[in-house]
Amino acid sequence: MTSIGTGYDLSNSVFSPDGRNFQVEYAAKAVENGGTAIGIRCKDGVVLAVEKTITSKLLKPGANNRIATVDRHVGIVTAGLVPDGRHFVSRARDEASSWRSVYKSPIPISALSNRLGSYVQAYTLYSSVRPFGVTAIVGGWDSEAELAVDGQVGSGPRSGSGGKVDGAQTGGPGLYMIEPSGLYWGYYGAATGKGRQAAKAELEKLDLSSGNLNLVDAVKEAARIIYVAHEDSKDKEFELEMSWISTLEGPTKGRHEAVPQQLLQEAERAAKRALEGDDEEEEEAKANEGEQMEE
Amino acid sequence: MNHYPEVWGRPRDDVYGSYNPSYLQTSGPKTHTQSPAVTGTSVIAVKFNGGVAIAADNLASYGSLARFTDVKRLRIFGDSAVVGFGGDVSDMQYIDRLLESIDIRENYSAHGNTLNAKNLHTYLSKVFYKRRSEFNPLWNHILVAGFDENKNPFLSSADLLGTTYSAPHLATGFGAHLAIPILRRLFPEETPIEKISKEEAEAALRECLKVLWYRDARSLDQYSVAVITSDGIEVKENQQIEAQSWAFAESIKGYGAQVN
Amino acid sequence: MFRNNYDNDAVTFSPQGRIFQVEYAQEAVKQGSVVVGLVNKTHSVLVGLKRNAEELSSYQKKIIEVDSHMGIAIAGLASDARVLSNYMKQQSLGSRMTYGRPIPVDRIVNQIADRAQTNTQHYGKRPYGVGLLVAGVDEAGPHLFEFQPSGMIHEMLACAIGARSQMARTYLERNLEKISNSTRDELIDHGLRALKETLSQDKELTVDNTSVGVVGLAGEDAKGKIESFKLYEGQQLVPLLEALESGETKEDETMEVDS
Repeated sequence: MTSIGTGYDLSNSVFSPDGRNFQVEYAAKAVENGGTAIGIRCKDGVVLAVEKTITSKLLKPGANNRIATVDRHVGIVTAGLVPDGRHFVSRARDEASSWRSVYKSPIPISALSNRLGSYVQAYTLYSSVRPFGVTAIVGGWDSEAELAVDGQVGSGPRSGSGGKVDGAQTGGPGLYMIEPSGLYWGYYGAATGKGRQAAKAELEKLDLSSGNLNLVDAVKEAARIIYVAHEDSKDKEFELEMSWISTLEGPTKGRHEAVPQQLLQEAERAAKRALEGDDEEEEEAKANEGEQMEE
Repeated sequence: MNHYPEVWGRPRDDVYGSYNPSYLQTSGPKTHTQSPAVTGTSVIAVKFNGGVAIAADNLASYGSLARFTDVKRLRIFGDSAVVGFGGDVSDMQYIDRLLESIDIRENYSAHGNTLNAKNLHTYLSKVFYKRRSEFNPLWNHILVAGFDENKNPFLSSADLLGTTYSAPHLATGFGAHLAIPILRRLFPEETPIEKISKEEAEAALRECLKVLWYRDARSLDQYSVAVITSDGIEVKENQQIEAQSWAFAESIKGYGAQVN
Repeated sequence: MFRNNYDNDAVTFSPQGRIFQVEYAQEAVKQGSVVVGLVNKTHSVLVGLKRNAEELSSYQKKIIEVDSHMGIAIAGLASDARVLSNYMKQQSLGSRMTYGRPIPVDRIVNQIADRAQTNTQHYGKRPYGVGLLVAGVDEAGPHLFEFQPSGMIHEMLACAIGARSQMARTYLERNLEKISNSTRDELIDHGLRALKETLSQDKELTVDNTSVGVVGLAGEDAKGKIESFKLYEGQQLVPLLEALESGETKEDETMEVDS
């Protein structure tokens, strides 16, 4: 960043001579210091997980949620400046609710992400505001069944005009990540925050695009990945928070909910075991190497 | 026929007199709909020991036409409140969407939806009152059933004017005239609700709905019942009025075919 | 004069992704006199040290009742706190008016935090220069929240903010277990002890400079569900301060016995 301090990085919405918007890059720096957040998309649902560093012993354990419910079927987790994350979530809730009041149906995850992308982008356009210091992961489930319109009464005609198409298949999982620039992509597995590099490496190993991982296993993988990503900052304690959204037949019935305590603990135990296992293997390997050297 | 296009196709002035252009005025005071279009009839409800039972038939009438016959007029809010709607059905759908959005908003918090039936009734009565004060009423009469903050059974009514009242048993519409006397006979004032069982309450509702089906021309023999207890809400939709006997009709002057 | 070029307003990130104006606002909180908050299973308590500008002036209020189920303690710019507390009072009344329900504590805390966040993202605004401790009860039990100028909020078991608050935090951390399992009166006692830790040598807690606020769930035999927010000031503090002193002498005695 050679242009730092040349004056082009002091105001938002200003390009530097080489075509960069520094304030947006700096906002992204704020994200890199935040606790790791990940999302995994599988065929039968979506998992969100976040590493919450414990900054004080006086914090109430299990409170201070970082994953927010936006609508019944959508959850958002953010990394970066926590208050900015809440602003982002609040906008997402407004979008979801206004979609419902216009269309009388839940907002598709793709549409929500699109609108949020636009909103975040608008905060890069003006010198009177600063960009969002968060990268957000939006996860949700678009209902696969034909939904009753909000407030609908009666079941409507069985056939003919306004009748229903039997066995029509729509919906599915949605996972998007929105960056401070307003850029967003859809993901099979998304990671952001401090430990994103390690988390991304782990996500890539899961071969998510093949669709072989199921939701419950994804919960366990998510827990493990947060533990792996935390490795580097081992000294600080952290709390794992996870939420999920399943199919209508699945455990959450298409709703965004916190992962039940029992499953969460199970996943955490498995994650710890996996990590310890790695350490032992490494140590053994090292020990073997040493022996060989001696020989 | 003359060369003024604005009068072409109009009744001739020399025969019918000149047209009164005030009929075409688009300005004037802003007006709102002051009457219902598609309506539901009675809702009835009874408190019993440990809960509330509420019932309404499945009909939405368009004037005197039985227009929609599978309309669910009992709407569930959260995990322990039910709202029964009488009156305009599209206004009911509007309020139902309102309830939906409140439920979603309440669930943003980790503690979930903590609005009880009493809170809901307070809110809805204020919505009604605000709308009637704007001369744009929501044309409904509702019963809200559930629990209050002390976990006691709660039952209260609110109407299109924002009027509220409460009683151990309530009915709206025709039911206010036909069901209330029956309920008062079954559950006199001096009987504490602790003495009324869930089964008795439900049976009383079914009995009242039968009488309403006999005598209210805007009613239907298919109905829904919801029973709210501390265990949750049990809704039975598509119920059928059983053991009908129309023998009484023969003896009533003006009922059915016998007109004088 | 300036540390750098990136600290002139709240809408400029530094190259490290920090917002200096917000960090400076946090410093204003540290200038304020100390307030302590703590919760057990039934109650939430606020304790504050009041300051007077001069010998003959009155003491600045540190604890404000927002509603019968909630109160706040402030450290930093008192006028900013008044803006926030007025807003909280309005929202609380609004909830009682439209739903007949005392507003859930987490919700109102989120509302002021969202307001504070707005001040950190728009040019021409400044962050609030005040930190709050919010104590209240709702359907989910007693709560204590910490609010910072950045718009950051945390639900805490115990907390202290303001000048020399580190001493109080150390006390709270050491006694966290005891605090969580304490009775109502013990909770107040712990609060006063934590507050006492922050005092400089020549100062002590008096009925003039101390403020205590208590709110909680009512006992089994009480009429309502909650024990309404009660502010102890002036002579009402006498029994609390006496209890604090007698508790200390007792401890001294036992220590002597031990030695």
